[in-house]
Amino acid sequence: MWQQVELALRQSAQQVLVKLASFLPGLFALLLAVVILSAIGAGLSSLLRRSLVAAKFDERLARNATTTISDWSPSHSPTQLLARVVFWACVLIGCFIGLSAFDAAYPGGSPVSVFIFPYLTHSIGAVLLLIAGSLIARFLERSVLIGAVNAKLQYARFLSLGIKWLVLVLTAAMVLDHLQIGGAVVELAFGILFGGIVLTLALAVGLGSRDIVSRSLERSADHRSTLDPIPGDPDYKASPAESLRHF
Amino acid sequence: MASAQTNIDLSSNTAATATGGLLVNLVSLPQEAFEATLSNLALAFPGETVLVATPDTAPQLSADSPLRLIPYTPTTVSSAPWILTAADYLNAFKLAQENRAATCLLLGAESQSLQPEALRALAKSALSVDLTVAHYDLGPREGLVNSAILYPVTRALFGTRPRFPLAIDLGLSLRMANRLAATAQRFTAASQDDSFIWPLSEAATANFTIAEVSIGRRTIPQPVAPDLNSLLAQIAGSLFADVDAKASFWQRARGTQPTQTIPQTASVTETPDTAPMLDAFRLAYTNLHEIWSLVLPPNSLLGLKKLSVLHPENFRMPDNLWARIVYDFILAYRLRTINRGHLLGALTPLYLAWVASHLTLIHTGTAPEKHIQDLASAFETDKPYLVSRWRWPDRFNP
Repeated sequence: MWQQVELALRQSAQQVLVKLASFLPGLFALLLAVVILSAIGAGLSSLLRRSLVAAKFDERLARNATTTISDWSPSHSPTQLLARVVFWACVLIGCFIGLSAFDAAYPGGSPVSVFIFPYLTHSIGAVLLLIAGSLIARFLERSVLIGAVNAKLQYARFLSLGIKWLVLVLTAAMVLDHLQIGGAVVELAFGILFGGIVLTLALAVGLGSRDIVSRSLERSADHRSTLDPIPGDPDYKASPAESLRHF
Repeated sequence: MASAQTNIDLSSNTAATATGGLLVNLVSLPQEAFEATLSNLALAFPGETVLVATPDTAPQLSADSPLRLIPYTPTTVSSAPWILTAADYLNAFKLAQENRAATCLLLGAESQSLQPEALRALAKSALSVDLTVAHYDLGPREGLVNSAILYPVTRALFGTRPRFPLAIDLGLSLRMANRLAATAQRFTAASQDDSFIWPLSEAATANFTIAEVSIGRRTIPQPVAPDLNSLLAQIAGSLFADVDAKASFWQRARGTQPTQTIPQTASVTETPDTAPMLDAFRLAYTNLHEIWSLVLPPNSLLGLKKLSVLHPENFRMPDNLWARIVYDFILAYRLRTINRGHLLGALTPLYLAWVASHLTLIHTGTAPEKHIQDLASAFETDKPYLVSRWRWPDRFNP
């Protein structure tokens, strides 16, 4: 019996080692493709950057156009933007080549490549979703904060944080859904969380604004009922705010 | 948006040769205002034949009228009639060129309030100078954006004297009109007909002659929907972009402006209501401090911190602090430290703080115009600060 146990162990170890041996070349091909294409990308990016700087690309673009590409790339010049696009395009091509090499090197029909390859592409999509969602959340947070402050809303920061977390929660739910993690649990949790945040914001804005709304309604009622002097009348006196002219 | 060709009054061609080449370009006016303007023009130029271009329906004038009306359809239409935009400069040059006018008067909205003496003074100056800019007699509570930002920045960086860089009444030589139209063409080609053009900086960079003419009181047109946030962002953004585009010019050393006689302005008798502005500033200081810290250096932030705890009656923003704040925002606009829309939105509470400080100061007895001139001098004094930060944004950060 011990001989059979020993035989079974030896055979299973041999199978695992064979599978590992067939897995490693594919992995090595993947890493090699990514590294080589990244190096090529870095070289191309550097060459492109030097060429565009020598050709004064940024200055020519700014001179000839009222809105430039760099309007959409904060704190970077168009030259920098193009160079980085070239670099990351090469890295991405390297990833695709590497994945194809990995898939080709792995034995066909094996369940591992069937699962890993699509999941890797989903992962890239999820990462891109996460980056985009974070950028949008940050942009909206700042926009709402500045707008609310200029509108003299006391709860400006609360409002901006609420908007930011709304977008982040939505992004997280989309990422998890894209990765097919959690399933219905994630959907339910997202619905509860999102609805809770929206309800909280609505209550805060509604309760916080009730004084403003009631004053506005009182003012409208008074305006209809009383005979206030209008501009042009001898008795009219402009309020200090009205007599201030910024332009 | 109109796209029809400009109509030419053929009968005016002969008259153009005989007038000495003065063309008065009017914007669209209500009927009564238009007729009043024509009356003032007739009084201003008795015995002379003057071409008057108008987009409105031209009335029949008597045979002995000195005015020759040229109705035209603008090739580009501005949707901001309260101020001169790229579309207006483009239309003016095309008309001057087509009618062979050597001099052009560009009059903005509410031009019926311009007295004949003012019109004559503008035209007389325009005959010998490339750019003539109107000087308006405004009250101490009027034209605050111009006093706070436009005039000090333009004077300090471009070395120009005129008090109103965005004046709506201008006298232009043909070459000045050509230059402004060329600049305007870039905006109209990108369908940005309502973009602002800065005549003073254009004239300064081209080394054209500039003069300023006092035209007294005038009805200043106001925007239809005066939303301070959006208008300030629009005007300040346009100025900052213009400064960015002409950096190679203003970074060269320029002499400071000679001392000029400070005109008497009406004193402020009533107590200024600065409470809303101070509340807006303090709210912004609490909430926007993180955003301001991306733009302003520690010294300026410290200055704002001290301001935020001052009592309303003692609220006083030092001139050099405001100058450096504006310069830092110009620099941040150029470097795109944060999104430009956000940057300009964050400027509004700081501007309101300056207004509150200005009103508080003039209420204590300081002449408003003296404060504005002192402010402009502070901008000139701190110009090296902007030049240093512009050239070495990462290294120089006081």
